[in-house]
Amino acid sequence: MTSKDVVLAMTKKTKIIAFCVLVVLGTALLAYGVLFHSTNVLPQQGDESAAIAKSEPALIKEASVGGVTRDESGKIKQTYTGKAPAACPT
Amino acid sequence: MVPMVKKTRLNNLASKLLGGRIWVQAAFLLVWLDPLGLRWHTMCSPVFHCYACPLATFACPIGVIAQFSALHVFPFVAIGLLVAVGAVFGTLICGWVCPFGFLQDLVAKVPTPKFDLPKVAGHFRYVMLIGTVLAVPYFFGEGHPLFVCRICPAGALEAAVPNVVSQAIAGEQVVWPNAAKLIILGLFLLAIFFMRRPWCRLLCPLGAIFSLFNRVSAFFLRFDANECTQCERCHELCKYGIEPEKTPNDLSCIRCLECTKCSPQALTLRSIFERTETHHPSR
Repeated sequence: MTSKDVVLAMTKKTKIIAFCVLVVLGTALLAYGVLFHSTNVLPQQGDESAAIAKSEPALIKEASVGGVTRDESGKIKQTYTGKAPAACPT
Repeated sequence: MVPMVKKTRLNNLASKLLGGRIWVQAAFLLVWLDPLGLRWHTMCSPVFHCYACPLATFACPIGVIAQFSALHVFPFVAIGLLVAVGAVFGTLICGWVCPFGFLQDLVAKVPTPKFDLPKVAGHFRYVMLIGTVLAVPYFFGEGHPLFVCRICPAGALEAAVPNVVSQAIAGEQVVWPNAAKLIILGLFLLAIFFMRRPWCRLLCPLGAIFSLFNRVSAFFLRFDANECTQCERCHELCKYGIEPEKTPNDLSCIRCLECTKCSPQALTLRSIFERTETHHPSR
């Protein structure tokens, strides 16, 4: 094995480690988001006691139609009551 | 003496697919354009395709990141997906899978004079990513005129235009998109006739994210200096102003793999997991 081969092998090893770390990190984030992460969302009308925990996939769907917003107090609130908007207002 | 050419299965597959890249991109439309009416908007796709489009299977990851930034919620799903996909493919997604890139590739086939962009212009994608996708939504919310979805030409073309048309056909009151969006759409439609992939090269925040993975992704371009005859044919083959022999995994590269057509095969698509077989082309 020449010195050049050694350098190439090390580069490849480093790349494999970087790749594995990134894939594990990405998959872990994805799995956490899909399975465990949730956010409290207040209804358009009503007090804080009526807040419901929405999973991240449900929040993605709400966000994709402009169905949630952050109010001045920093709470996440639904922008509609009843039927969800058909498409994003932007 | 005939030079030895390093061949791998991946390399052979890439060579076979290269001529039909546009068909591969077209085939992926069956995934993104929701032919089965699934509308899985609880999950992001790894491509740039507006979720407000009547034909969108998944949610746009950039739209989701921007909306979550406005909500001050960390987008685990979108970031996790982009990190995992980016680590495997890098910008192969841009060159082979993205429907918005495909649209620009199709229009680029119209024989109009094409102007090139200075390479430094590609850095504006990171400004776009940090500014309009992260900072503006975080500090000013989704109502700000520089919120990415409000200026996005993909949103204008794929969502606003179909909505305006459907409202007009149904005889309803037509709700026009804002003036900035219409102007950006007009400029984009003009630019794609005179530049190759202007959105991807200048402004795409998703391409900016994937480009960061190019140097560590499982699939990468390898330059073999021993095979290179310094003919600079790869410079002619690359339509994006990259010098592939200097930076084969350049941040601006969309991995269309056109440069791998150079005859000495000094540039090849490789994967970090494959073994290299060698054979003599004369046999």
